[in-house]
Amino acid sequence: MVAADFIEQLLNGLTLGMVYVLLAAGLSVIFGVMDVINFSHGELFALGAYFALSIIAPFGAGTGFWVAIVVAPVVVGLIGAAIERTTVRPLYGRDPLYHILLTFGLVLVINDAIRLIWGTQQRQLAVPEYLSQPISILGVRVSVYNYFMIVFAALLAVVTWYLLNRTKYGMIIRAGSQDREMVRNVGIDIDQYYTLVFGVGAALAAVAGIVLGGYQNVNTGMGNSVIIPAFVVVVLGGLGSFRGAVFGGLLVGIVQTLMRAYNGTVLATFGDTTLSVPNLEGLTVYLLMIAVLLVKPQGLFGTRGEESEGEGEILVGGYGGILADSTRVRLGGIAVVALALAPVAILFMGDQYYLVVLNEILIWAIFALSLDIVMGYAGLVPLGHTMFYGVGAYTAALVMLHYSQSVFVVLLGAILLCAILAWIVGSLSIRVSGVYFAMITLAFAELLYSAVFKFDFTGGSDGLLGFEAFIGLGSLGASLSNIEFGLLGYEIGQQFVFYYLALLIAVLSFLFARRMMNAPFGSVLQSIRESEERAEFIGYDVNRYKRRAFVISGGMAGLAGGLLAVSPSTVIISPDQTLNWIHSGEVIVIALFGGMGTLYGPMIGSGVFFGAEEFLSSYTDQWRLIIGTMFILFVLFVPRGIVSIPSLVAQRLETANNADGSVDMDEPEVRSDD
Amino acid sequence: MTETVLETDGLTKRFGKLTAVDDVSLSVADGEFRSVIGPNGAGKTTTFNLITGALSPSEGVVRFKGEDITNVAPHERVGRGLGRSFQITNVFGGLTVRENVRLAAQSVHSDEINPGEALFRDKNGFDEITEQTGTVLEQIGLRDRADEHAEALAYGDQRRLELGLVLATDPDLIMLDEPTAGMSSEETQATMNLIDDVLSDRSLMLIEHDIDLVMRVSDRITVLTRGEELASGTPEEIANNEDVRDAYLGGVRE
Repeated sequence: MVAADFIEQLLNGLTLGMVYVLLAAGLSVIFGVMDVINFSHGELFALGAYFALSIIAPFGAGTGFWVAIVVAPVVVGLIGAAIERTTVRPLYGRDPLYHILLTFGLVLVINDAIRLIWGTQQRQLAVPEYLSQPISILGVRVSVYNYFMIVFAALLAVVTWYLLNRTKYGMIIRAGSQDREMVRNVGIDIDQYYTLVFGVGAALAAVAGIVLGGYQNVNTGMGNSVIIPAFVVVVLGGLGSFRGAVFGGLLVGIVQTLMRAYNGTVLATFGDTTLSVPNLEGLTVYLLMIAVLLVKPQGLFGTRGEESEGEGEILVGGYGGILADSTRVRLGGIAVVALALAPVAILFMGDQYYLVVLNEILIWAIFALSLDIVMGYAGLVPLGHTMFYGVGAYTAALVMLHYSQSVFVVLLGAILLCAILAWIVGSLSIRVSGVYFAMITLAFAELLYSAVFKFDFTGGSDGLLGFEAFIGLGSLGASLSNIEFGLLGYEIGQQFVFYYLALLIAVLSFLFARRMMNAPFGSVLQSIRESEERAEFIGYDVNRYKRRAFVISGGMAGLAGGLLAVSPSTVIISPDQTLNWIHSGEVIVIALFGGMGTLYGPMIGSGVFFGAEEFLSSYTDQWRLIIGTMFILFVLFVPRGIVSIPSLVAQRLETANNADGSVDMDEPEVRSDD
Repeated sequence: MTETVLETDGLTKRFGKLTAVDDVSLSVADGEFRSVIGPNGAGKTTTFNLITGALSPSEGVVRFKGEDITNVAPHERVGRGLGRSFQITNVFGGLTVRENVRLAAQSVHSDEINPGEALFRDKNGFDEITEQTGTVLEQIGLRDRADEHAEALAYGDQRRLELGLVLATDPDLIMLDEPTAGMSSEETQATMNLIDDVLSDRSLMLIEHDIDLVMRVSDRITVLTRGEELASGTPEEIANNEDVRDAYLGGVRE
């Protein structure tokens, strides 16, 4: 029976694998042809399942399922094509970072649209009765649906392969994924094909969503839960390779299923030692992904060499600024004074909730600042930056629980451990560049995210709780929760004390970063962003500088995470709150929102992001839809961020009113920390 | 006997089945102006990349100032006095002209800056670096434009800045990869004058397409074809070499 059991698990793995194949095929070809890392692919997948729900309802499961599996993908395909036309198209030629941001915005929009239309409840997708029967072949008992999924998906994969390899369109698309310029040079307008590729990719994702929806269920988190495995598949197989997507999809599906089924199973016993399957469920695929990226970054079947660098560049908010340095310093000073006085106003208003929001803003301002050091200055785009935020938070909580409650010891511990982690991750990751760097940092973050679920000392999925910070050192000071005193009849509590601590640390972090960027070390980072090759050939060890920047950035993100744990609003440090990849996306979005490469821009971005979230969520449940739309508009029209708005306005004024040179200096930089 | 500054011994680079550089053994004397010419695909730029460390050779040795540098990282070679310019202009476009040059000058002084200073001291507070930056800006004639962004410069000025970057690293041997590519004849003349003015006291190795120019300025010339060294000699020797005329100069035999 052991063999039959194994084959059953293998079939389950194959079933899941085929879903990944359908998902990854579109993702991979889209990346190969247009260099677009499409984060919204998972939401298109979910959209397919939701459309199927609505289509099946009037027809009933018998015919409805078959209607849905044809119609829903066509609808999603059209939506995909429309998305390409309206939002992705204007961004070609820009750094792939902007596609990440754009599609991240799309994730928020589509996901919220799904919630709005279909609600948040988990739903069951009805499949024809004859498909859901269990069937036993040679002692292996699985559902007919398993066989259906495998055969149906395999059929689609073969059709896709045929289209790619045996038709003229397919040839052009494949040629485009090898060398776009060359295709253009032979006189073919490859851009025309982008809409088609994006649409077909979306349709394949929708099919995957429907078949998996019928196998498991349909819920609003389904896109989020498949997108990262889909990226693993694409990276393993090789970005842009269809063959790789098929191989990688099956591999990941089978490995994931088998590791779950045989988790901890004893394989053999030799006297006292037992050999068992390591308890690595969830971790295995990320370890695989890291290994492949390190050994063969182009993936197992990848045909492309190092990606074409320098086609687009990261647009920083720094230059083109119209404000004189002295004006900026003055504005920064005013901002700090305003922030220092803000609690007084809040005292008068009597609603301390605003302090909680401000505290979150300050923590994320430091986190976004840390990202700017590597992204805006050294030109590295990490998709896993939240690993430092999360590890910092966990370290701080653990230090408080087991070692010392002193806030100084706690934060120092978070900084040090994250700096060490950054050194290790950086040493490995910096050897690959561009998209591969983004992917390998994502893999490390996901590895840690999965790891905290495994260990007892991290509290598993519940996370850690019951810790408290002590403001002071040794016996001098007071526990945060004990701080409460009256002042002029007003009650000053722990939120106030923490606020000033966070403000002080945020200002110091900013001053530290600014000093560093004006010192020799930081100046070299900027030269690396401008031209890595040139920096190397005027004598700089580029990798060493990048690694050091990564260590400093990691340490600072750890500090932000540590502050999160110290914050009186934080009761629990959980995996999803700190290590979920969504936060890596959010912090990039915040940095871009404010204006990268300026240090203060990302900090302003944090204020605007959380401010907008607070404001909008008090009026509507669909605030994510609005914020997502705002991102998309920013990526398209204000890529240098909020800090570039004054100069954009000035440009407009100048063109509109050439005679009058005076420009209104009252610009909207209110919440700044510099 | 003059000292040898650069020497390659059996330098070979294969890409799969293609041998781009085949057993090239060169020797450049201290203070020499050496040019490397050859038709497209002759392996000139690959040879350059092997010497500067952008590529590592399949076989052979590179010696610089008597030391084997075959396995030394590119940035380290710059530190030892081997500078290069790029065929396609490669300056820090988003930074000011002054900052471009200052970064190159800072690189030479990196060893004298301690870690604390590297992180916290104002980059403009290092007198030696500032002084060197000023000198180089003067030499390349861009002092008046020092505060403009490099990408805002005209093409010819960007090429001058490119030379300035090399110059600021204070190299003993400078590898120039087509420094006059895409320039008008006046700009070419100006650039050659500039090279003559500011770089003539150093050893130079030049890749160039313009044969007349090469004949005029070089001490010695090496001719490459299909990755192999066809001939080396003074401009007269090269001009009179039958093989060279056949293979490269397109001389017609009767």
